[in-house]
Amino acid sequence: MRFLVSCAVAAVLATSPVLAADRLLIDDTGREITVPDTPERIVVMHEPLLGVPLMDLDLDLAGSYGRADDGGFVIAVDFIDTVLGEGKAKPKGFGPVGQPDLEKLRALEPDLILASELDAGKVDQLSTVAPVYLQNISGDKVHGFDIQEDLAVLLGREDLFEARKAGYMDRVAELRATLPGNAAGQTYLPVFLTDQINVVGDSSGMVQALEDLGYTRLEVAEASTTSASGGSMMLMPLSAEVFGGLNPDILVLLNSYMDSSRDETGTREKLDRIVPGWDRFMKPALEKRILFVDPAKVITPTVASAEHMLDAVEHWGGQER
Amino acid sequence: MIRRGTATDGKPVLRLANGLQMRTGNLLAGCGLVAATLILAAWSTGLGLTDTGLADLLRALSGSSLSDAETYALLTVRLPRILLGFMVGWAVALSGALLQSIARNPLADPGLFGFSQGSMIMIMLLLVIAPVAPKSLVALAAVTGGLCVAGLLLWLVGGERSSGLTIVLLGIAVETVLSSFGSLLLLYLPTETSITLSEWLAGSLFQANWSVIAAFTPLFVLGLVGSLLAGGATSAYDLGTEMAQALGEPVARSRPLILLFAVVLSAAAVTAVGPLVFLGVLAPHIAGFLSPAVGRARLLLSGLVGGILVVAADALTRGIAAGLPLPLGLSLTMVGVPLFIIALRLQALRKLQSH
Repeated sequence: MRFLVSCAVAAVLATSPVLAADRLLIDDTGREITVPDTPERIVVMHEPLLGVPLMDLDLDLAGSYGRADDGGFVIAVDFIDTVLGEGKAKPKGFGPVGQPDLEKLRALEPDLILASELDAGKVDQLSTVAPVYLQNISGDKVHGFDIQEDLAVLLGREDLFEARKAGYMDRVAELRATLPGNAAGQTYLPVFLTDQINVVGDSSGMVQALEDLGYTRLEVAEASTTSASGGSMMLMPLSAEVFGGLNPDILVLLNSYMDSSRDETGTREKLDRIVPGWDRFMKPALEKRILFVDPAKVITPTVASAEHMLDAVEHWGGQER
Repeated sequence: MIRRGTATDGKPVLRLANGLQMRTGNLLAGCGLVAATLILAAWSTGLGLTDTGLADLLRALSGSSLSDAETYALLTVRLPRILLGFMVGWAVALSGALLQSIARNPLADPGLFGFSQGSMIMIMLLLVIAPVAPKSLVALAAVTGGLCVAGLLLWLVGGERSSGLTIVLLGIAVETVLSSFGSLLLLYLPTETSITLSEWLAGSLFQANWSVIAAFTPLFVLGLVGSLLAGGATSAYDLGTEMAQALGEPVARSRPLILLFAVVLSAAAVTAVGPLVFLGVLAPHIAGFLSPAVGRARLLLSGLVGGILVVAADALTRGIAAGLPLPLGLSLTMVGVPLFIIALRLQALRKLQSH
């Protein structure tokens, strides 16, 4: 009799898609959700921070918030092209930023919606379409490419992530050996230029690469105060006066995505408009300790972005020699 | 029994047996606005990706089954938006019309008096203390915030002899202080709260669902019944506080009561979709242009126009400008302001011709 009952339970488990193929998870905000064991149609609410990390792990996206119906990206930079290379299939959109279209979202037939803690207010409505997993993306909660690692664990791609990371760490070791001087103990400061000066937060491939190479972040009193009081997740505003007095061993300058020219010339011109004459009095400029980087390549929390950062450091190191 | 008659200005009216009367023009305008609401709502049910609309909805109501996509589009997305949009528009417009009467100022609305800001700040403070507070608590916070501002305003205004201008000026002062405090809170709140609040401040019907409607309905009904009961007094207030007193209006009691209803309506709307700036001014003016009215008729016509404007703004957002990032507050302005300008211009021309 007991055997028959066991067989019946096993048969039910095997035939019930809900019991056999779903699992109960607790997301980063403490919500309990049931998600498919192997989600096949994933939609992301933030492409650079959630979508690109998944695509870097060879996962295709069914949809991405902020893309147009034809797959075009609404802001100037398409991070899939800049980080992962051109030619990748683009996910479809479901309404403009600030106005998600639930009907379009449902038409994408997602089995998992990946959102950030910033989307907590939208969860009730998004959940009418598919289970919603909230992943932390704020700079004070995640670091380097933690987000990609978390998502790899969530979606059973740990092996792939570890393989990507191992290859990356080999490159880090090689590059560290060729860098002029010892990076350990030297400081860096990543600065993003909009219409003001902003210190970049901790969650990006760029930060991961610099710290894996041995650099440590230069603590800026004004920026840390802003951060502690709940400033922006990625960018902490910095006054021009404070910026002018800083002296990191490497100053990493990144021009805004919205500027067509994100190379050294464009970045210099932009900073000159905010802090006129900066290159005539700032020590990193006078001693050529500035690294100009394209943020569209290095800002995502992915191994791919970290590798782009290694390329940039390698190129800069070559110039130094 | 209903009898036809003529008002003192010679306009035709309908008189009820209990002594109540309504201008025929107001009644016709009301019927026209109800018809416009139904037509707009019917059109709006057909807007969206899924190919469905009113015909399918009627089929479903008659017992036919719809596909999952059609059911989702109609019952989960479109109907809640239309219904909540109409109720919210009605509430804000009614609130504005009530405030304009007691302030005797055509610019008065919940935003000008600081009620919306009071509700918003209380919601912000609640979300700081309890980020995942239930919607009922958020609604309570909104009403409390609005009531605190109303109480402060009444205390600042002082006795029953204070003029409408005093209320407006003090309202502007309170609103300015609260807006500054709100901006400060947005700047220093945790990022996630700040972003959520910023999206909500732009106004959106994205959150419209049956549970929000269920939470909104009691406040809406309370405000609606209350304003209709107190609505008769607004015709006396339109003549000024002293004249209202001379006509026997108990200003010391009825003014706080009307303020209370205006606050409840405004707070309920703010909770549901965020602040809808200028709607409280737009709707009563457009209603007044369509059919000049006083008292309850003015309130009803204003409410209908407010509801129509929000449903039309949502239709613009979902239909015509579906691919554009257009918050409800902006689309409402795009729909309402041209109508407002046309109404004012035609009114001015009408006055010129009559002289």
